[in-house]
Amino acid sequence: MNILSIINAAMPQLLYGAKLTVLYSIATIFFATIVGLIFALCKLSITASLRKIGESYVHLFRGLPLLVEIFYVYFALPMVLPLHRWFDPYFTPVAGILALTLNEGAYITEIIRAGVLSVPKGQTEAALSISMSKYQTMRYIILPQAFKRMIPPLMNQFIQTIKDTSLLSVISINELTRQGQIIISTTFESLQIWTAVAIIYLIVILSLTSISSYFERKYEITKR
Amino acid sequence: MKLQNGSNDMVVIKNLSKAFGDNVVLKDISISIKEGDVVVIIGASGSGKTTLIRCINGLEEVTSGDIYVRGVEVAHSKSDLIEMRKEIGMVFQHFNLFAHLTVLDNIMIGPTKVLKIKKEEAHKKALALLDQVGLSDKSGAYPDELSGGQQQRVAIARALAMGPRVMLFDEPTSALDPEMVGEVLSVMKQLAKEKITMIVVTHEMGFAKEVGDMVIFMDDGLIVEQGKPKEIFSHPKEERTKAFFNKIL
Ligand SMILES: Nc1ncnc2c1ncn2[C@@H]1O[C@H](COP(=O)(O)OP(=O)(O)OP(=O)(O)O)[C@@H](O)[C@H]1O
Ligand SMILES: [Mg+2]
Repeated sequence: MNILSIINAAMPQLLYGAKLTVLYSIATIFFATIVGLIFALCKLSITASLRKIGESYVHLFRGLPLLVEIFYVYFALPMVLPLHRWFDPYFTPVAGILALTLNEGAYITEIIRAGVLSVPKGQTEAALSISMSKYQTMRYIILPQAFKRMIPPLMNQFIQTIKDTSLLSVISINELTRQGQIIISTTFESLQIWTAVAIIYLIVILSLTSISSYFERKYEITKR
Repeated sequence: MKLQNGSNDMVVIKNLSKAFGDNVVLKDISISIKEGDVVVIIGASGSGKTTLIRCINGLEEVTSGDIYVRGVEVAHSKSDLIEMRKEIGMVFQHFNLFAHLTVLDNIMIGPTKVLKIKKEEAHKKALALLDQVGLSDKSGAYPDELSGGQQQRVAIARALAMGPRVMLFDEPTSALDPEMVGEVLSVMKQLAKEKITMIVVTHEMGFAKEVGDMVIFMDDGLIVEQGKPKEIFSHPKEERTKAFFNKIL
């Protein structure tokens, strides 16, 4: 078999894997952004105990290898919490997304916090002086300005997330990397298949990069 | 529970003290300001002028003492803070316009989001205010497209849009190039004529003489001297006041 026909034969399976990679990435990015926003607001709170919670979360989930976190959620956690029964038969995807979300959420927490802190204090004071509540100040004044500054680091984190989904192969989630492994285990065509896998990853990530630079340009032009 | 002080004055400050850690920056300040009065606060750098007016609208927490706005004690009740701020407009030294909003949206966001006034109505009022500060042609501009003087006039319009009874100004012209000072002062003089109660920290002695009803000279966290502008400027009683005038005039 020549290279093209090998890849051709493997393509449907690889594309299925790519689809899962994209879906897991989207789900993770969605949940991790919510988690990140919540813990960022905790870290920015004037309440000491909330700040402590936010800090502990970031320390814990940034401080461990992602692979260990995945193993922990998948193998260790069910020993104390019957997650595998609650989520049966979807425990594997739930565990995968949960582990990724907790990990990426810790990074996004820091990105959002830094974005909020980058907005000058005078903006908050002006908002308070026209009688806005703290919530209104965040919602209408601080977050819109912080968001603009958060786009580049968030896009980086989203790209990182796509790459990190490859680790889900260790808990038998059939995303792109695992599909490659499965195909090679029967065809032994390492060079061709890993090349194809690499190219698909690059296509996915480069398309996200171009979306990201579109947004950056858009906000650059209007300067807001 | 709202404490009343039984006075008809617009702003009453009683025995106000403020410390940052061990640094006591306001010491037993008492002032009464009548409705429609223009009070000018002067004093050397670090004397506590900014801190004093920030205490009045709750941007700084007071250490001790009371502040009454229209008879309602506000310095110690967080819940009344938001209500109280509707009555008090503030203009900052560095304008602090909302950088992501156009001039029009800067003025409208308070009335629409806080006072829940209808969009069309707020829009109409915002245009009228822009006209009042002479910036009708800038409604669609963003703050960073305006000169300092223009930004400060928008900031005044933003504060006025809330319909305040009292306006606080913290050195509104000291971040401006000299040629822009006049345009901001003339807007402020107009407000003074309309009998809006104003508390103004400024080094513009001409403004104080022209529209001030009372001048307060502060030094080292204390009110050293207060009185009618004419009296204070021509016959300062205290040595510290004289020394200050010698330095700046
Ligand atoms: N947030 C703060 N934390 C600690 N100290 C502060 C703070 N704000 C002001 N101070 C101190 O309080 C004192 C009075 O400051 P304030 O800004 O009120 O003076 P000012 O009269 O407005 O001076 P200027 O003319 O320079 O604006 C200064 O010694 C200053 O260092
Ligand atoms: Mg000051």
